[in-house]
Amino acid sequence: MRRALWVLAPLVLLVLCGLAIALGPVPLGLAGVRDGLLGVGDANAIAIVRAIRLPRLVLAVIVGAALGMAGGALQGSLRNALAEPYLLGVSGGAAVGAVLAFGAGVRGAFAIPIFACLGAGASVAAVLLLARAAGGRADPRVLIMAGVIIGAFANAVIMVVLANAPPNTVRGAVWWMMGSVADAGWPQIRWLGAYVLVGAAVLLLMARDIDVLALGEEPAAALGLNVDRSARRIYLAASLLAAATVAAAGLIGFVGLMVPHIVRAFGIRRHRALLVGAALVGAALVVAADLVARTAMPPAELPLGAVTALLGVPFFLLRLRTLA
Amino acid sequence: MIAFREVSARYPRDRRDVLDGVSLVAAAGSVTAIVGPNGSGKTTLVRLLLRLLPLRAGRIELDARPLPTIDARAFARRVAVVPQRENAVFSLPVHEYVALGRYPHEGPWRAATARDAALVDQAMNDAGIAELAGRDVRGLSGGEWQRARIARALAQDGAALVLDEPTTFLDVGHEMAMFELFAALARAGRAVLVISHQLNLVARFADAMVLLHQGRVAAAGAPATVMQAAILERVYEWPLVVTRDPAVGAPTLVPLRGRRGSSGRERSRPPEPPS
Amino acid sequence: MPRASGRDDFGGELPRFAIPPRRIVSLNPATTDLLFAIHAGPRIVGRSKWDLYPDSARLVPSLGDALRPNVEAVLGARPDLVILYASEDNRPAYDRLREQDVAVIALRIDRVEHFDRTARLLGSLTGNAAAGAEVADSVQRTIARVRDATRTLPRPRVFWRIWDAPLITIGRGSFLSQLVDIAGARNIYEDIAAPSQQVTFEDVVRRDPDFILVGPEGGQIVARDPAWRAIRAVREGRVRIVDTTLVGRPSVRLGEAALHLARLLHPDADVR
Repeated sequence: MRRALWVLAPLVLLVLCGLAIALGPVPLGLAGVRDGLLGVGDANAIAIVRAIRLPRLVLAVIVGAALGMAGGALQGSLRNALAEPYLLGVSGGAAVGAVLAFGAGVRGAFAIPIFACLGAGASVAAVLLLARAAGGRADPRVLIMAGVIIGAFANAVIMVVLANAPPNTVRGAVWWMMGSVADAGWPQIRWLGAYVLVGAAVLLLMARDIDVLALGEEPAAALGLNVDRSARRIYLAASLLAAATVAAAGLIGFVGLMVPHIVRAFGIRRHRALLVGAALVGAALVVAADLVARTAMPPAELPLGAVTALLGVPFFLLRLRTLA
Repeated sequence: MIAFREVSARYPRDRRDVLDGVSLVAAAGSVTAIVGPNGSGKTTLVRLLLRLLPLRAGRIELDARPLPTIDARAFARRVAVVPQRENAVFSLPVHEYVALGRYPHEGPWRAATARDAALVDQAMNDAGIAELAGRDVRGLSGGEWQRARIARALAQDGAALVLDEPTTFLDVGHEMAMFELFAALARAGRAVLVISHQLNLVARFADAMVLLHQGRVAAAGAPATVMQAAILERVYEWPLVVTRDPAVGAPTLVPLRGRRGSSGRERSRPPEPPS
Repeated sequence: MPRASGRDDFGGELPRFAIPPRRIVSLNPATTDLLFAIHAGPRIVGRSKWDLYPDSARLVPSLGDALRPNVEAVLGARPDLVILYASEDNRPAYDRLREQDVAVIALRIDRVEHFDRTARLLGSLTGNAAAGAEVADSVQRTIARVRDATRTLPRPRVFWRIWDAPLITIGRGSFLSQLVDIAGARNIYEDIAAPSQQVTFEDVVRRDPDFILVGPEGGQIVARDPAWRAIRAVREGRVRIVDTTLVGRPSVRLGEAALHLARLLHPDADVR
């Protein structure tokens, strides 16, 4: 059963990547795609394949992998199968950062992502501090509650800003919040890729700690884990990974939630394997969702966050049935 | 090997100490038992050992070294602790669960060795769960789960073993088997520290007993010293007698019926033996 | 404010064409309309889904939204000139197209003077400067005429209800406010600099306009909703329905729009 994942996941990912390059609102044909990739032939086709579809695909892969891993790490360390990467204030904070940037009319390709990242960072810090002040050192329940509180506060701030903002700002902010990999550019991808690589390496190094944390606070301490320190590090690493994806692509929900379940359904339990599997499945999922977003109603595009949510609902209905 | 010296502790937001000047020693090669009513502070001792609660006063020592000087992992290599309760949130096969006991000995780069596997198998055998190796921990019965947790602690291969209420869900046979195991481990040189409600069982297997009452040591010493009706009645606030059955070879506590049946806590005279 | 010639509204250099562009993508109702007016309609190979005027524009393939356009679709039309609306939403697409060496300009068309400049600019870019100038001048003449005709008339105070939930009106930053001014009236919210602004109902009551301008659906709502009777103008029957096809955007029909407004607001005068 486990082996099946290691064969299926890369295969599916590869096929989806191929489809993502080959399909789009402009029909290119297989020859056109091949020529475009190689850089020969029609300049337009080359531009479409190399400058539009390829960076988009790479961004989708990076975002999906990061979200999958962050979700897996958080579910294990918070001991909650419904945890997801945005739980500890990431989405609210990032959205506040982005909305404030839109409202202030900030310009430049990196402006919104930087603001979103700062917002997410501030929000995660607020959640951790709030949880500590409430006395729950690394208690998952207190953390989750703190995350909900900060998230609600962030929503309130967003609503206040948008209520008094001109229509352009509102539209831009709402579009950003719905999630998209449409604005993928190579410079941005380089940064994100490096960042995600580091974050993923950190999580993989701590995978064994997650195994132990998943047992509970007392058993983990009994096995010699410094529960506070390890838990905090994992939350931070996972949240910062998620924050980077939000900065780059807006809010893309359900991926971090669904992917670990899919990997676990193949019988994978140890977190080292689980995180790697989650990266593969997460990448495949976001690439598939973006494919749907681009080709469902051409030439209009569906928001990526909407497609992942639409995929998520039936997934969880199925899951509920198998659980019951 | 493990020594608590004049230990006091208090939970945050509590006004009174949960432990007040408690001293006890769990020596190598012996079974030491901590007994006492609910709320007397027994589990708090385990929490202090795991550093989940700060000390308000006193010292805890391992091999005569103060606890704060010992790294958590090094401590876990030396002392295996089985906390009172644990929930299994995620599915995991039993043998992998037990194998997590090797965590203190691993590093991020070190792969599992043959010795690790051998220790895990040995632990499962000792705990009597060898045949459950492939089962999901979430599907185990209460007793099987408890034995799996003990197996994990055994796999840690520490010189000391600390168990908080290890036999709550076990039937008579398994319970006796566990205590026989603890005694065997002690004979082999380990220090075994058991917290248990089962006074009678403890009295038969322990080399030393410590009776806690409202955060203080009410009595300590060999079972015969601690198992005295007067002390126990005062501490447990229930009428009882302590008998000694030659077949058992250890003092046995027998609780008596209260005046108002089972709900009252009133003292009453023991019923007249039928003539 | 119209920029110094040579740059578009994103600060980019205006393209120079050796021969006029033959494949134009215009993602903006105003510029599509204008291109048809200066006889460049047949050269349009792609429009936004909002570009519905003139009628022949509907025959041009739609490439999607005017904001955050689908860059791939635009490239697929092989344009030699792309015209985008200068909103920040479009900056990523603008940059992406520039990277691919496609001639792209971003224009702001929010005010009467923007329209004038755009008409002349598109005229010169498509190699038909005369047509562009003609359109711009014709609009200017009509506007001047309307101004003259209403110069001596009393200036009624007007509230223009753009949207209902929330209640939105125009500030002096909008060309509609300019039209109101040209038509010899005053926008009661000309103290607001932005093109549009959300306002409260009570504030409108307090400012006590002489006329209310609404679109056709808005007219029905105002007629039926008893709350609106708190405004004197409603009670006195001075709600005027505006032809939204004329005033939807600054277009070649700006002059007509000004005329239309002047007639609505000065029913007793004979404005031509």
